[in-house]
Amino acid sequence: MTEKEYYLLPFDFTKISGKEVLVNELGDMIISPKGTVQKIVDRTLPKDDLYKSLVANFFISEQILPPLIEVYAERLREKKRFLESWTGLHIFVLTLRCNQNCVYCQASSQNEESKGCSMSREIMAKSIELMFSSPSDAITMEFQGGEPSLVPDLIEYGIQLAEEKNKEAGKEIHYVLCTNSINLTDRMLDICKKYGVVISTSLDGPEFLHNSNRGKKDSYEKVVAGIAKGREAVGKDKVSALMTTSVEGLNYPTEIVDEYVRLGFHAMFLRALNPYGLATHNDNWDEYTDRFIDFYKKAFEHILELNRQGTYFVEEFAAIVLRKMLTPYCTGFVDLQSPAGVINSVLIYNYDGGVYCSDESRMLAEFNDYTFRLGSVNDRYEDLVFGKRAKEIANVWANEALAGCSDCALKQYCGADPVRNYSTQGDMYGNRATSLLCRKNKAIIEYLISLIIERYDEVMPIFRSWVS
Amino acid sequence: MTLIIDKSVYNDSVISKVVYWMSGDYKIVRTSLDEFSEQIELIATKAESSESLVEEKFFQLLNDFKLRQIVADETRDIKTILYAKAFAEDEELSEEDIHD
Repeated sequence: MTEKEYYLLPFDFTKISGKEVLVNELGDMIISPKGTVQKIVDRTLPKDDLYKSLVANFFISEQILPPLIEVYAERLREKKRFLESWTGLHIFVLTLRCNQNCVYCQASSQNEESKGCSMSREIMAKSIELMFSSPSDAITMEFQGGEPSLVPDLIEYGIQLAEEKNKEAGKEIHYVLCTNSINLTDRMLDICKKYGVVISTSLDGPEFLHNSNRGKKDSYEKVVAGIAKGREAVGKDKVSALMTTSVEGLNYPTEIVDEYVRLGFHAMFLRALNPYGLATHNDNWDEYTDRFIDFYKKAFEHILELNRQGTYFVEEFAAIVLRKMLTPYCTGFVDLQSPAGVINSVLIYNYDGGVYCSDESRMLAEFNDYTFRLGSVNDRYEDLVFGKRAKEIANVWANEALAGCSDCALKQYCGADPVRNYSTQGDMYGNRATSLLCRKNKAIIEYLISLIIERYDEVMPIFRSWVS
Repeated sequence: MTLIIDKSVYNDSVISKVVYWMSGDYKIVRTSLDEFSEQIELIATKAESSESLVEEKFFQLLNDFKLRQIVADETRDIKTILYAKAFAEDEELSEEDIHD
């Protein structure tokens, strides 16, 4: 090797707010003047503070092998720690029956009286066997639908089976009920209280908007009552809510945030529509994506303002990205992982016995597309997660190896999503140049970085409080 | 619009990456003129920008991807060592595994 003053270490870069943003393999970020990368490559970088920072943060090395290579490797391992524990989130789709009529339903729900679309006890038992086959020490059993609170007996049966099985397995086990909270009966809440079930509900914003989205006149009133009832039963911190930004919702960024604050929540996830189920009827995803990005920024500015005024309130998507950016740790959020969250972090047991690699993939199955069906609950765990279909998905689940992602500086904060690629672009590999998910994620991550660059003193205390 | 790219300055991999990212907004036709030059024809498929802006963006991307290529080429071995140390079991790699 020729004599060089220093050696390069792997990093990527992008340009934001007139600066060059350098991101290394660990997700560490250095903001530098334009032209820095050229100087680094040309070896014309002066030995100033920036140089020292580049050495200290694994962007360049004064020795061919960095003296702290073991620390470097350990930090990389920490960033991918989610892989070690394998599948932790196990989603049980108990029924497609639902008592709402949401305009954007992504779960292909059926009406409340429908028959033949609920999980049998036999399928529940087999699904639990599979869940306990996962080597993960900590597992989450999440009940979804349709509306899972319509089948409380099945939920209790599942929890009791899991508790029994766990006497031997000794795993850390959490239960989550994803419910619209429309009809949280005493029976359902007793189960939640008895087994420490966390309630995750959905609220789209102020009354007029929520009711319009749900296709019901009294949905808001019932959900708010359900939230209060749930809080009383299991504790305030055990009830969270999730919003989905319908096309109409795009017009009300501050009103939606204010509604969450008014109801006593300390966090919200500004979530875009997913192109599954009824949501596919949205006729202009290009326009929706651009409008959502604008919506996100307006809502986020309002959240920053609330925090500045002393109200602690977190935007969850930003918090996940910021955790990746500002801490040495990985996050458990399956949509922003590489390798992707599918299979690695989540498995779905559908009401009909099908096993899928993500929540979205079972939604595709409701439209007779079984591309992401790994097998059935009658299969062996190993055959499901190491089977032919799983291997096909694994070929395209790391953004480090995907065109358009592999040399993107933001890949450390983003994730691979073969199911979304398939559903929106027709193949699992996807094309980042035309991907709306890429456009959205990139715009939001770049926006967060621009805030750090342009308004550091103002936003960093808030961001640090969110990730600590 | 048509651009002529010097292939001795920007290699095929770098040009391909720029074409990939521009393909969301343009239909792109690549024609090799000779050993040293390539013609790139861009036909707008969405809202059209001014030719000077498109040209500026194209060459900006070329320069950025060329820099990325240099970093990737120079760090290929250390990246392998890093990932092996982080994830492979009993993988003993040292600086002798880094090639010039």
